[in-house]
Amino acid sequence: MSNPSLRKAALLALVILVVFFSFWEYHLRSLNNGLSYDDGPELWTQKRSEVYLPSDKATVLIGSSRHKYDIDINTWQSITGERAIQLAFEGTSPMPALNDLANDSLFKGKLVIDITEGLVFNTSPYNMQRLTKALAYRRKITPAQRFSFEVNHLLESQLSFLDRDFYSLSAMINRSGIIPPRAGVMEEPLFPIEFGRVSFDRQDLMTDQFVKDTTLQNKVKGIWNFFSKMAMKEPPMSQQTTDSILMVIKTDVDKIRARGGQVLFVRSPSSGPYWGGEQHVFPREKLWGRILSMTGSPGIHFADYPSLANFQCVEFSHLSPADAVLYTKNLLAVMEQQKVWAGSGKLASK
Amino acid sequence: MVFNSYTFIVFFILMLSLYNLPIPWKSRKVILLLGSYLFYAAWNPPFILLLWLSTLVDFFVGRALYTQENKHKKKLLLVVSLIGNLGMLCFFKYGGFLLENFVALSNSIGFHFHPAKPNIILPAGISFYTFTTLCYTIDMYKKESKPVKSFLDFSLFVTFFPHLVAGPIVRPPQLVPQFETPKKATQQQFLQGLFLLSLGLFMKVVLADSMLASPADTVFSSHQALHSLDAWMGLLAFSGQIFFDFAGYSTCAIGVAACLGFVLPENFKYPYAATGFSDFWRRWHITLSSWLRDYLYIPLGGNRKGVVRTYINLMITMLLGGLWHGANWTFVVWGALHGLYLCVEKLIQDFNKPKLQMATAGSEHRIVQNGFSLPAGLQKMISSGFIKALFVFFLVNVTWVFFRAPDFTSAWRLLVSLFTKVPGGAVVLTNFNILAVIVIITGMLIFHWRMRNTSVVATIAKMPFWLLGLVWALLLGLLILSQESSGSFIYFQF
Repeated sequence: MSNPSLRKAALLALVILVVFFSFWEYHLRSLNNGLSYDDGPELWTQKRSEVYLPSDKATVLIGSSRHKYDIDINTWQSITGERAIQLAFEGTSPMPALNDLANDSLFKGKLVIDITEGLVFNTSPYNMQRLTKALAYRRKITPAQRFSFEVNHLLESQLSFLDRDFYSLSAMINRSGIIPPRAGVMEEPLFPIEFGRVSFDRQDLMTDQFVKDTTLQNKVKGIWNFFSKMAMKEPPMSQQTTDSILMVIKTDVDKIRARGGQVLFVRSPSSGPYWGGEQHVFPREKLWGRILSMTGSPGIHFADYPSLANFQCVEFSHLSPADAVLYTKNLLAVMEQQKVWAGSGKLASK
Repeated sequence: MVFNSYTFIVFFILMLSLYNLPIPWKSRKVILLLGSYLFYAAWNPPFILLLWLSTLVDFFVGRALYTQENKHKKKLLLVVSLIGNLGMLCFFKYGGFLLENFVALSNSIGFHFHPAKPNIILPAGISFYTFTTLCYTIDMYKKESKPVKSFLDFSLFVTFFPHLVAGPIVRPPQLVPQFETPKKATQQQFLQGLFLLSLGLFMKVVLADSMLASPADTVFSSHQALHSLDAWMGLLAFSGQIFFDFAGYSTCAIGVAACLGFVLPENFKYPYAATGFSDFWRRWHITLSSWLRDYLYIPLGGNRKGVVRTYINLMITMLLGGLWHGANWTFVVWGALHGLYLCVEKLIQDFNKPKLQMATAGSEHRIVQNGFSLPAGLQKMISSGFIKALFVFFLVNVTWVFFRAPDFTSAWRLLVSLFTKVPGGAVVLTNFNILAVIVIITGMLIFHWRMRNTSVVATIAKMPFWLLGLVWALLLGLLILSQESSGSFIYFQF
């Protein structure tokens, strides 16, 4: 092929790409779902690197999706004047993160652990895989990967189509519904895009449409139902396993406290039949109560405080963005009132 | 750094800008060398010391080997080079494996030895640059080429970033002369390079990572016996994944080098169109197989020392070739199977030689079975070698079981699932996985067969500009849409 033909081919390819992706971006923006960041090991690792800020400058949050939806990072930061470092992962036990921080001698800060009993008292590797993958990534991260993350951040901040969970090639084929599920293969239920958009601070936010649309909410409630049924098929956890998990929590918390760190446990709100089921399967005195008594750490259970107890979770398990702001304010007020942080951990009086 | 990362895109744009500055050739080469070190250090900076050590030792030892007339001293120098290069490779790549086997052997004879498990990190590309420097010193020993005069050129030969971490494994005469005169890519070379880079990234990111990695990983990480369909789909997915991953890397490397005005040797030539196993190794990882042929098989005696020695030499070459891929006995079995295939193929060829001569002397050359002529289409397929190619592909797939399985238990479990009907075998792949494997692997086989006697560059040269433009846009469009993060290439671990 001669030079002019190759040049013309390259130009044609460029024009097609620019036109296609301009239209694609325009179309996605018109859906009003907003930008969302890839919440993979790369973003988690970037947040993890911030945990060494002095204890009067930051609080680290670990746990599962309730932390990610219910804690409004901006509200937290504006009231306390401190960074809120979100290290929770959806559908994930906080145990590997707690263990990671406990064994990091440089971490001496404040830690808030979200207790979702169904995930904490569960030994399935499936409930830890996202965090395990992130921890492995952090251990082996290269300078090139750090640089790629920064470039990716710049692009993700501008382009809606860079949304791996919903607009990548395989995600779009999977979500198109044109390929039926295969009998006998457990396929993960697909959450609607409106349910969770991820901010760069790793906060999960429902869209306005999700908060209004009961069909979308029912779809997510159906997914919780699916997971509940799956969990019910599992044999109940033995007392021995429960005790060993509690012992691991105590050991890790002791390590953090021994070097001056502080730990607070939080039980975030859930509602309706979900809350009813949780109370039945995970009796408070046998799990929540024992965590606090064994570790000697403070804890805030939403049901104990009127300012926290009256929130209605949109799909029984998570708060809307507007409620998250209010809940965060109220939670911080309870923390202040209960003086959960000793010494320098006092909240700013804003 | 890897080609499929934003870091590389920024790095490459910077390199192109600096390399094309109107400055003396020596300064441009210095830019290339510093860029290559940066490329390597972006993975793990301290390991650059190994690269420097290897470059320094082999430059001076290579020169001394060429000029030394005393045979004993010459041999001693060669031993120094071999110990230096292979010693480093052995320590980093095979240290843990050797210790593990030594412990197992000691314990089996009643000597209980339980040392701490070594925590050795494998430097990226060590197997590749060790072979690159080794062939230089061996060539110097045999006086097959002249020593590189300039230390800068030699350093660039070892470190030139497109081939540094995963090949193609270059020989001094292929690359060093290109550093001697000023180089700048012509517009045609630059655009061809960009097309090859796009194609290579498409193969790696879209086909290997986005479509095939998941079914292959699911099947090979399964701890239970599988339904035959799942086992076959997982295995086929891996055969596609390993090809698109590694050939994708080589295509990127050749494309990147072309953008800078350099030519790297071809590393893959549609291997799944091979109609025999010697043909397969002329098409798969060509620079490694030719390296093994020239620096191992032929020095062992090749086919010059009789029939039995030929088979022994073939087996030794393939066993060591297997071990080169990884410190695990499963790789040795993979190499052994390939060695066995080559031996059987040679045996059949030797046996058929007289018959073939008689047959070709005859006038009619038709395929007749049980007295009936086969249908014309099937006859055509058989005589073209397509059926043979499918049979070779099938046998190569069997070897991939050992290449990919983490241990023999897993490999055996998968083989059982492949060739027997396991009652209650687990179904683990989704319909999407199965469909992706069928479409991609069928497409790959057809593409390999149709392209087996040509090349990408020759093919695009014949395409009208609008068609090439559309294909190019499709490759890049799917690449952007796939949004796979910068996963490492499989061959980085080798």
